[in-house]
Amino acid sequence: MRLSQLTVRQFRNLASLDLEIPEPGVVIIGENGQGKTNFLEAIYYLVLFRSLRGAKDRELVRFGEPGFFVAAVAGAHRVTAGYETATRRKKVTLDGSEMSKLSEAVGTILAVPFSPADVSLVGGGPSARRRYLDVVLSVSEPPYLGRLTELKTALKQRNAALRRGRPEEARAFDGPFARAAEYVTATRRRWVERWHERFRELCRALGEPSAAGLRYRTGEGTDGTEGTDDADAWCRRLGARMERDLRQGVTTVGPHRDDLRLSLAGRDLRIYGSAGQQRTAAIALRVIEAETLAATRGAAPIALYDDVFAELDENRQARLLELIREALPGQAIVAAPRDSEVPAALFDRPRWQVAGGRLDR
Amino acid sequence: MSAIDDVAAELARLPGIGKKTATRLTYFLLKQPRSALERLAEAITALGTRVAACSVCGNWSDADPCGICADARRDAGLVCVVEEASDIAAIERSGEYRGVYHVLGGHVSPLDGIGPEDLRIDPLRARVANGGAVREVILATNASLEGEVTATYVRGVLEPHGVKVSRIALGLPVGGDLEYADGLTIARALAARREMGS
Repeated sequence: MRLSQLTVRQFRNLASLDLEIPEPGVVIIGENGQGKTNFLEAIYYLVLFRSLRGAKDRELVRFGEPGFFVAAVAGAHRVTAGYETATRRKKVTLDGSEMSKLSEAVGTILAVPFSPADVSLVGGGPSARRRYLDVVLSVSEPPYLGRLTELKTALKQRNAALRRGRPEEARAFDGPFARAAEYVTATRRRWVERWHERFRELCRALGEPSAAGLRYRTGEGTDGTEGTDDADAWCRRLGARMERDLRQGVTTVGPHRDDLRLSLAGRDLRIYGSAGQQRTAAIALRVIEAETLAATRGAAPIALYDDVFAELDENRQARLLELIREALPGQAIVAAPRDSEVPAALFDRPRWQVAGGRLDR
Repeated sequence: MSAIDDVAAELARLPGIGKKTATRLTYFLLKQPRSALERLAEAITALGTRVAACSVCGNWSDADPCGICADARRDAGLVCVVEEASDIAAIERSGEYRGVYHVLGGHVSPLDGIGPEDLRIDPLRARVANGGAVREVILATNASLEGEVTATYVRGVLEPHGVKVSRIALGLPVGGDLEYADGLTIARALAARREMGS
C-alpha cells in the first residue's frame, strides 16, 4: 500500500500541510517536540479514526482552532476525517461519500506504527495488549469491530444494571453479551493459534535465544468450562458470578478481562523481562501486526517508524532491518531526531525537516 | 425576557431545532395573521387537554380506547408490540397490518435508568392473560441491542401464557442496493435467510 497525498489541517501542532508523499516514503528529521510524532499520528488517524496514542479527538485539535482535518490518497482510495469541537462531530468520507459507520472505512488505509512507547505493550497492563489485539483484528477481520462494539454496549448496560442493584435487568443483557463474547474470544484465540510460533521465530531472529511464548488467557475461573468460548459457557460464567458482580457493580468475567500472555522460557515477560527483552517482544508484535494485515488484506501496510532504531544495539538493528525488509516491503515513513539515528538501509528516501509544526523539503 | 425570546426559547427545546432555527421560526410566526397564531396556540393546547394515552394499547389518542383499538374490523387477536407510539404511524403507513398494537414506552436501558418495570410490560401481560383472545404477539422493537434485549425480556414474560410470540425480521431494505448495505445488516440478513418457495 502506498500513500501518495496527505493533507493535514490544525492537527496537534501541525497547522497546514499539503504533501505529495514519494513512493518509497520519507525520512523526517526534527528535534523533539517539533511535530514528528504528530505527523505519524495524523497518518495513522486515517486507519482507525482514533488517536494512535489513545488521546481524545478534542485533544488532537491544534490550540485555539475549532477542529482538525486529515485526508490522504492511498492506492485508488481517498479517505478524509474531520472533527469539530463545538458539535463534537466527526465526519469520515471514503471516495467522497460520508460513512455513517466509521467501521465501514476502517482498514481502507493500512499502516503499522513502531514507537519506543510500544514497550508498554509488553511491560504494561493487560488493557494495552487487549487494545493491540482489538486493533489488529478490527483492521484485518471486518466483522470484528462491529461485534466488539456490541460487546462493549452490552457490557456498559449490564454494568449500569448491576450498579442499580437489579440482577434481573443485568441478566437481560447476558444473551447479547455472551453471543458477542463467543465471537470475540474465538477470533482472538484463532489469531493467537495462527501466530504464536511466528512470535517465537521473530524473537529468535531479533536475537533472543530463549523460547518466546504467546498465549491467550481468559479469566474464566475453574467451573469446568475452560477453553470453551461458546455463548452458553459465557452465560454460565456470568450466572456463576452474579452475586460477586452485584457486590462490585461491574461484570467481573468476559473478554474485557482477558489478556495476551507473553513469556520467555516460560516466565512472564511483563514481570521478569529485561528492558531489552520487552523491546524485542514489542517489535515482534508489530511485525506480526504487519504480517497479519498483509495476509488478510492482501497488501503490505505502510510502516511508520517513530525513532525506534536509536534504542537498539547495532546487532539488533541489523536483524530488525532484515526482518522488516520482508514483512514491510512497502512505503516507510521514518521519523528521527538526527540523520545519524536513521539506519543507512532506510536512508535512501527523500529527507524532510520538521520544525515548529512546519515541514521543509 | 421579551415575548420573542420566550417563544424562541420554547421552540429551541424541540428535538432537531437549534437556537438559530428557533429564532427564524419565531420571526416567521410574527409575520403571520393573528388568527393563524391563535389556531396554532389552540392546536398545541389541545395536545395537552384532549390527547391522552389509550388505556388499552398506550397509543396517543383523542378517544379512549383509541381509534385502532375501537375498530371492530381490526384483528384484536394479533398484537404488535412497539417501543414508541410514533412507531405505530410507521407501521400504519405500510397499510399491510390489520392487527392492534401495544406501546411499551421505550426500551430497557440501565444506562438511562430505565428498567423493565418502567415499561408497559405488565399491561401487555394482562392483555394476553385476559381470556385468551390474543393469538399472537409480534415483537417490533428496534433492531438495536437494547431493542433486542427488550424483545427477549418480553418474550420471557409472555412465555408462561402459551401465546405465540414472533419477532419482525431484520434484513435488507427494500429497493436498497446490496453493495451499499453495511456488513452487520448483510450478516443478519444472511443468518435470517429463508428457503424460496416456487
